Amino acid sequence: MHVLLIEDDTEAARFLVKGLRESGYTVDHAADGRDGLFRASEGQFDLIVTDRMLPHLDGLAIIERLRGRNIGTPVLVLSALGGVDDRVRGLKAGGDDYLTKPFAFAELLARIEALLRRRTSTLQTTRLKVEDLEFDLLARRVTRGGREVELTARELKLLEFLMRRAGQVVTRTMLLEGVWDLHFDPQSNLIDVHISRLRQAIDRGTDHPLIHTVRGSGYVLRSDS
Amino acid sequence: MRFNLFNTTASRLSVGYTLLVTLAVGVTLGSAYVLTESLITDEVDLIIDTELRSLQEKYARSGVPGVTDEINLRIDSWGRIGAVYMLADANFERIAGNVTHWPFDGMPAERWPEFEIGTIEPGRRAVHSVRAAVRTLPGGDLLLVGTDISQGQRFAEKFRFATLWGIGLSTLAAALAGFWFSYKLARRVGEVTRTCQRIMAGESGRRLPVAGANDEFDALAVSVNRVLDRLEEQAGTLRATFDSAAHDLRAPLHRLRTRMDALLLRSPSLEPAVHESVESALREVDHLQRTLATLLQIALAESGAPLAAPAAVDVGELAAELVELFEPVAGAQGLALDCQHETAAIVQGNRQLLAQLLTNLIENGLKYVPSGGRIEVAVRRLADCVRLVVSDNGPGIAPEDRSRAGQPFVRVGSGAKSEGGGLGLTLVAAIARLHRGRLALESNEPGLRVVIDLPA
Repeated sequence: MHVLLIEDDTEAARFLVKGLRESGYTVDHAADGRDGLFRASEGQFDLIVTDRMLPHLDGLAIIERLRGRNIGTPVLVLSALGGVDDRVRGLKAGGDDYLTKPFAFAELLARIEALLRRRTSTLQTTRLKVEDLEFDLLARRVTRGGREVELTARELKLLEFLMRRAGQVVTRTMLLEGVWDLHFDPQSNLIDVHISRLRQAIDRGTDHPLIHTVRGSGYVLRSDS
Repeated sequence: MRFNLFNTTASRLSVGYTLLVTLAVGVTLGSAYVLTESLITDEVDLIIDTELRSLQEKYARSGVPGVTDEINLRIDSWGRIGAVYMLADANFERIAGNVTHWPFDGMPAERWPEFEIGTIEPGRRAVHSVRAAVRTLPGGDLLLVGTDISQGQRFAEKFRFATLWGIGLSTLAAALAGFWFSYKLARRVGEVTRTCQRIMAGESGRRLPVAGANDEFDALAVSVNRVLDRLEEQAGTLRATFDSAAHDLRAPLHRLRTRMDALLLRSPSLEPAVHESVESALREVDHLQRTLATLLQIALAESGAPLAAPAAVDVGELAAELVELFEPVAGAQGLALDCQHETAAIVQGNRQLLAQLLTNLIENGLKYVPSGGRIEVAVRRLADCVRLVVSDNGPGIAPEDRSRAGQPFVRVGSGAKSEGGGLGLTLVAAIARLHRGRLALESNEPGLRVVIDLPA
């Protein structure tokens, strides 16, 4: 997978490039907006990660020009700006995800993975299945090993979010954003408690737990084999 | 706010204007009528008087026969139109003239008596009004001279009719003009009001319409627009300053975090003690980051910059969602957390900020209320606002501390179960203010009761 990183903070960029390469990505780096736009337009990238504030050309302007040229490469915006509306502006400009600095590297990795996978799994589906866990999206019904599992509306949403990203690491922040539409970090360990409730309902009494904790990152739902 | 056309300064002015026009036209036409009528009467009286005098002279010269001849002559040949003559004796018996009998009961008391007379004309009988004067001649005979005034009366009647219509029509015209005037005025003022409301609601780029008529409204709009431009420019400068401050604070924090992350990722073989202390340092960085985010949020909210792009937010639904989110954590702490909300408790605002406000209030409760207590969130619709109440039965805040509780880094009471930033309520106050809301801290007897009224 080929990733373009547009970041003017050389030190931060060096760490990100290194980390991404160690995680198996091919990474190109552009240090300003003009160079970034040039490379993004010329090269064949699977994903672009761009800083918001850049010399010569702002990160949002890059996205707008790319979209104007019909280049639909997913873009993840990194921003050190503070306001709640910055995120909205970033997504409105055509960005696919938005991450506020400072962030954990694991958070960035999880989001990159999610964006890359999203491209291949946008098919309309009515039924999700991971091992013997089945989710009928139309009837909003979940069964594990053929036995019906009782879940609240929110737990169904949480499970759907995890199952649609089966095999991918999902961070707490991603869950807060995707399931609760909250774009800030509450101080409490809220998500852990909700996951543990879901885990109780899904994995209790089986010897194949499907929901796993990834230390330092978040959670993943996958068949453990 | 909608304009009631009948409850504006313009409509009050135009009602007054209509009354004034009615009065002025009434006085003008009325006095013209009165003057004209008296002019006509005076002329009639003068003619009658002149004729009486000439007939009296004739009597003095040639007695009853002379007057009789003169009267007959005037009736038959060259007399004026509508003239009435009568010469009667002392018993009111007719001697001469074109009236068949004495028209009054004896001697009339008024100087200018009036009576009606039936005329014999071909085809129809008509009744004519006659104004007359009577003189007693030296021999005891009575001389009556009159004039048909029915034409004058018809004229006066027409004049009266025209006067009344004139007054009525001018009143109508004035009322219509006034209505049109207040309608136009209300429409232009309404435009200004609506635009101002939209600007208040966040469309900061909107400006008052300038009609190009170069009138006082255009002058007002141009001045107001200039003020708005200045304010927007200031908000932009403020925003840019804020952005670069945020950037300058976050970038080094980001480098620090990335470096520590890289250390952990690349060196899985770190000594456990080193690993542990790097992780603990990372937690501190995250804590610092949260505090910074909160401070930036407070700074932005307090800067006076308007709420960017507000949208309809159902506060009741949002409260229910957050209570549902926090309920398991509260339950694990032995606290009861529940929510009562009315439907469609909608305010214009920012969902994320309002969620942050609710989160801080709930987290505040989780922090201070001892196990076994309860936290209640209630959302009600009031006449012109949505009332959000978060109450608990924890230690509360002492009355003397309540006014300080919204200030940064003030931690009140000693009931804290865990350490906290001391910024929670400051952010709550800032977000409430940003939504033009009112925040009150009260005693829940016992406990804390936070009441926030958000304008709908």
